[in-house]
Amino acid sequence: MIKYIIKRLLIMIPVVIAVTFVVFTIMYMTPGDPTAIILGNEFSEQASMSLKHDLGLDKPFFIQFINYVANLAQGDFGTSYITRAPVSEQLLARFPSTAKVVVGAMLVCVCLGVPIGVYSGTKPYSLFSNITMVIGLLGVSLPIFWLGLLLILLFSVTLGWLPSSGIDGFASLILPSIALGCNYMANIMRTTRSSMLEVVRQDYIRTAKAKGVSQKNVIRKHALKNAMMPTITVIGMNVGALLGGVVLTETVFSIPGTGRLLVESINKRDTPSVLGCLVIMAVCVAVSNLLVDLIYAYIDPRIKAQYSGGRN
Amino acid sequence: MDIKKVNEKGNTLEIKNLVIHYVSEDEVVKAVNGVDITIASGKTLGLVGETGAGKTTTALSILNLVPDPQGKIISGEVLLEGKNVLTMSDSELEELRGDKVAMIFQDPMTSLNPVLTVGDQIAEGLEIHRKISKGEALKQAKEMLELVGIPAERAGEYPYQFSGGMKQRVVIAIALACSPDLLIADEPTTALDVTIQAQVLILINDLKQKYHMSMLMITHDLGIVAEVCDEVSIVYAGRILEHGTLEDIFDNMRHPYTKGLFGALPDIEVRRTELKPIKGLMPDPTNLPSGCPFHPRCDYAMEVCSKLPPETKWLSDTHCVECHLYKDTNESML
Amino acid sequence: MENTAKKFTTKKEFFKQYKKKSRLQEIWRSFLKNKLAVVGLVLFALIIIVAIAAPLIANYNNAAIKVNVQGRLSAPNAEHMFGTDEMGRDIFARIVHGARISLVVGLSAVAIALFVGGAFGAIAGFFGGMVDNVIMRCMDVFLCLPDVLLALAIVAAFGTNQLNMTIAIGLSFTPKFSRVVRSAVMTVRGIEYVEAARAIGATNTQIITKHILINCIGPIIVQVTLYVASAILTISALSFIGLGIQAPIPEWGNMLASGRAYMRDHAYIVMAPGLAIFVTILSLNLLGDGLRDALDPRLKQ
Repeated sequence: MIKYIIKRLLIMIPVVIAVTFVVFTIMYMTPGDPTAIILGNEFSEQASMSLKHDLGLDKPFFIQFINYVANLAQGDFGTSYITRAPVSEQLLARFPSTAKVVVGAMLVCVCLGVPIGVYSGTKPYSLFSNITMVIGLLGVSLPIFWLGLLLILLFSVTLGWLPSSGIDGFASLILPSIALGCNYMANIMRTTRSSMLEVVRQDYIRTAKAKGVSQKNVIRKHALKNAMMPTITVIGMNVGALLGGVVLTETVFSIPGTGRLLVESINKRDTPSVLGCLVIMAVCVAVSNLLVDLIYAYIDPRIKAQYSGGRN
Repeated sequence: MDIKKVNEKGNTLEIKNLVIHYVSEDEVVKAVNGVDITIASGKTLGLVGETGAGKTTTALSILNLVPDPQGKIISGEVLLEGKNVLTMSDSELEELRGDKVAMIFQDPMTSLNPVLTVGDQIAEGLEIHRKISKGEALKQAKEMLELVGIPAERAGEYPYQFSGGMKQRVVIAIALACSPDLLIADEPTTALDVTIQAQVLILINDLKQKYHMSMLMITHDLGIVAEVCDEVSIVYAGRILEHGTLEDIFDNMRHPYTKGLFGALPDIEVRRTELKPIKGLMPDPTNLPSGCPFHPRCDYAMEVCSKLPPETKWLSDTHCVECHLYKDTNESML
Repeated sequence: MENTAKKFTTKKEFFKQYKKKSRLQEIWRSFLKNKLAVVGLVLFALIIIVAIAAPLIANYNNAAIKVNVQGRLSAPNAEHMFGTDEMGRDIFARIVHGARISLVVGLSAVAIALFVGGAFGAIAGFFGGMVDNVIMRCMDVFLCLPDVLLALAIVAAFGTNQLNMTIAIGLSFTPKFSRVVRSAVMTVRGIEYVEAARAIGATNTQIITKHILINCIGPIIVQVTLYVASAILTISALSFIGLGIQAPIPEWGNMLASGRAYMRDHAYIVMAPGLAIFVTILSLNLLGDGLRDALDPRLKQ
């Protein structure tokens, strides 16, 4: 099992490097002269040339890339063109807010979506199941940013129960988490439901019932574990989508997180900062994919066996 | 069909006039159309018929496991040791399933839960019905494994690590773990190689004797019937067309369908250039023929056959048939 | 009840009873049975009609673009069905024209993804082996980056105009599409009739076009529908954060962004654009789901 973990970790590294390469290349192709941005008013040909040299911007593309990655490995994300401060500082300051919102949204998704999906999967023709199907359809189609605005209108402006911006305290996390999590909760609900429906039809469920296992235990012991696998994949895949959505959520709720940093940096043409944000997010996605794979391997004995060499 | 027995006491199973339909939006599948079955204690009944004749549905009704949204039990009683399974509550059913009656399903590849160990799956029944601890149940589960010819050390393995034949043995171990009074075997060897078939049959026979079980053996293979059964019922389109002891059916068959079944077998002694299948196809259960369900394919069909369903005629104490050909044949039963 | 076991005089008659209605008819029939799917289809058709007929419904320059400071921020009334925005522009007119932009960008972006991604996917799926491995590894790398972010990166680099956005979104969907096409091709490739076709000497091209593509089309169409929904969502999202279609061009996302500051006292200003996005995406999702159910007989219970 440990071998599997290490193996997957090692694979993650080239993937992250490859993603960095893609993003780096895209940003490299940005037209315009970064030194103009950095120097601003102090711009002159000479200053530009020497700055380029200092920053290594006059070196060939690949050398620049390798330097970047080498620095990354040491935690150096470069220096912001605008603030002249290390990008890593900003990232460190902003990332926790993003993490809170994303985790909050995930909790909403999983804690609500999975149980509802399971329950409506076990009673497929009931009213509850039909209602959840409808809610699922609606939820998947609601744009995050609009939902955020609506939530603010209702809970902040009209009812005054919850704050509409900022990130201090638990209350301020509620609305952003719901807004961000809504699409994905609907997704998870639908996937879990259909996965349960699929599992409940299987022969081994019939075998369990024929043994006299109670309905409750048939679901708990026999169906759930098998039904969870597609759900876990979807949960894992969603982290990427959540990170994409968090940019929107932070904008709507004025949360000082990595997402907003990304947008601001793009507006200010601050390439190192943009790169830094993108790389961090890519790493998060890679890590969550790894976690999903590990959980999968833990649950499904066939995969577990492959990596721990046979007998349990 | 109404099968009366002289000695009604001690019948493990009595099914009376069972009618089951599968209802969907577009159509009604008439799976079981008035089936009567009696199995005395310690006896084995073979339920023989082609695929789609309604055998599995009948078997599932004994456990009251006919799939619910579509399967509707229209009428009939299923008496397991005198009590009607169809009217029992869920908790009563959960008590008797696995304990008084157990079923071996057709396809071993999909009948086992892939994420639970084999030992756990056998032990589960024991924990539920014998109220023992998990450790004790696992111990007994290992004994069951040995009984079916699988080394006890393999109790911690998962189904994917076993071959088809061994998986079926595990299924048998699960079914027999709590020594049920009635074992239902639904084509237990169909999915297996011929050599494994033989082993599994011997195993079932041995265990049946050891535990004094009654058994309902569902199959389309007459060879298996000859090996294992005491009595035989021939099923067609959800009705029992003929019933009798092994001799009655094998040596003294009466119904044209039964004759057709036996006639379709290749016979080593009689060399023929062609096999003799029964002409035509199984009737569409959503659109059954009128009168006798077999008449469109019957070589001996008369006019009355398409108009009236035949009544049961008893040819002897043990042998009865549903066919207009035997309308004028003798005595009624006591 | 009469005897239904007929006697057949010729073999032809015998087989006729089994002749299925054309597959397309069957699919259409089962699609129609699904009420939600039909709703989706009708809604989306309406939206397309509105988008095409936009100039006929509302005047672009006068209603959608022209600033009218006196009439600003008026609530919905007879003259302005959805009210006016902070620059006095008729919201209804802007929504109608915004539909055009969303649909054009959405459909073109998906078209790009379909052709580029589809080509890669089909090649990878059909040839398998090394080719497959290389292509899929490359695509996997892209999958590590959420689509919105990838689109953002491209837009960040090359600037925000309609063309760039279309390409950016199209490229960000390419990896996903290549996976879809690849798995569709691989499923079909293994099926026996391809072997049979090969056995009678069909060339690779013939196999690809006649057998494989026809059968892949089902899942691909479903994905196309769902991705168009995603694409429209992405454009609105990008415009909302200011990195997409810029004002004064009416786009539902940027309408929400600019209206946001006034929403406390003029809630209506964020209702219409949001609803427009919601209804469009909903109709496409319903349509996509309906198509998926109609095309996959296995899903019927």
